[in-house]
Amino acid sequence: MRSLSIGTTGMLAQQLNVETISNNIANMTTTGFKRQRAEFQDLLYQNQRRVGSTSSDAGTIVPSGVQIGAGVKAAAVYRINEQGNLQVTDNALDLAVNGQGYFQITLPDGDTAYTRAGSFQINAEGTVVTADGYTVQPGIVVPADAVDITVNGSGEVQVKLDGQIQPQVVGQIQLAVFPNEAGLEAIGSNLLLATPASGDAVPGNPSAPGYGRLVQGALETSNVNIVAEITNLITAQRAYEMNSKVISTTDQMMNTTSQLR
Amino acid sequence: MENPIYIALSRQDALRRQMDVVANNLANMMTPAYKNQRMMFLEYLAKPAATPVEKVSMVQDYGVLRNTAVGPISSTGNPLDVALQGDGYLTVETRDGQRFTRNGRLQLDLDRQIVDTNGLPVLNEQDLPMTVPQNSGPITITADGTVSSDQGQIGRIKLVRFEREQFMTELGGGIFTTDEPPLPAPGTKVVQGAVEESNVQSVVEMTQMIEISRQYAVNQKMIEAEHERQRNAITKLSRLS
Repeated sequence: MRSLSIGTTGMLAQQLNVETISNNIANMTTTGFKRQRAEFQDLLYQNQRRVGSTSSDAGTIVPSGVQIGAGVKAAAVYRINEQGNLQVTDNALDLAVNGQGYFQITLPDGDTAYTRAGSFQINAEGTVVTADGYTVQPGIVVPADAVDITVNGSGEVQVKLDGQIQPQVVGQIQLAVFPNEAGLEAIGSNLLLATPASGDAVPGNPSAPGYGRLVQGALETSNVNIVAEITNLITAQRAYEMNSKVISTTDQMMNTTSQLR
Repeated sequence: MENPIYIALSRQDALRRQMDVVANNLANMMTPAYKNQRMMFLEYLAKPAATPVEKVSMVQDYGVLRNTAVGPISSTGNPLDVALQGDGYLTVETRDGQRFTRNGRLQLDLDRQIVDTNGLPVLNEQDLPMTVPQNSGPITITADGTVSSDQGQIGRIKLVRFEREQFMTELGGGIFTTDEPPLPAPGTKVVQGAVEESNVQSVVEMTQMIEISRQYAVNQKMIEAEHERQRNAITKLSRLS
């Protein structure tokens, strides 16, 4: 019976759904993490009786036909790029983006990655880097005798040197926006890469139209809504159960048949 | 003499296919824009060769009816997701011509064209694929289907509806085809950043499944009873002679 394999596809799909939800819950407190959602598609259909075929010599036609689907498949697991909450940390190098845009990070191989996690630090050379030590573009160097760092809403980095009154501009942080953020590829460690689906990065200054504002001394929390995730988990579990019921009901029907004398 | 068995068998055969339809509904409980399906049954009059005068009434599964009600719309926050409110469809281009879908999980492909989840280009009102220009910022889609970015208008999504929606054939992947001529769908609203969920009601499907299972067993009982009756008849008749 076909419903046996249809039920199987349903159970497999829900398993993927639970895996996606568990990853969201695991990353509930990951800075700048964006929750994901598994998405499904119906499989191909088999015609038992074709739509529009004639059902008599008088030319009457079948209005809907018998088409039986073959189940479900996973189509995509995509990211939902809603803004996460801002959490005040009072750390001068913690930056949050309030609105659109990603920080641009230079990877060790020279490629550019993008992130919303703005928990930056200064390395031994005074360069602003991520928690993994990757340089934040455009490679801002904070002098060793700086006593105070200010990053304003439009990304300008100013330092106050020891003994000076006037702050000094040491760099400008730019944000990148994408035509299709959902197309970015996650590579772990809070980093994302541009893909043909995301489109090319369009850099711009924070606070410019279409770009988010930088908030110093704050971090963007993950946008995982724990209540929503738990309810999704329950839904997924129930859907899994229902598909397993399909399998056991089919089994019962087959059992009935096999008991024929 | 075997007619009752064949009648029960016709019902069982139809029930097995009905079970497939219910299984497919449950499997697609979370497929965007999936429409739940129901099997329709018909009395089928057959004239068996053994009884030249009387007709016997069998069961035939006549068609699958699609419940075209709009599913619940849920927000995703993705700028390229569109949910359709109303009876319209998006038009996509395939190798075999235009096809239609309500699954508005759109994305960009290698050529920066707006495509659906199957990678098929979504057409604008001039029947052309829509391409997002290089270096354009976030995309906005208005309720009438106009797609634009900070560099200006990209195109207006072609929304169509059909006089006889039930005549559409599913091809899988949320794609439909039909011989019906597409009509403009001015009443259909596009909601950006949302998708239409499946309209499957799991409770209804579960009760359907119980019913199918029980009816199948009842028919089995009937076949067995008939079998018993025939055996009795043979035994008793042979004893008399």
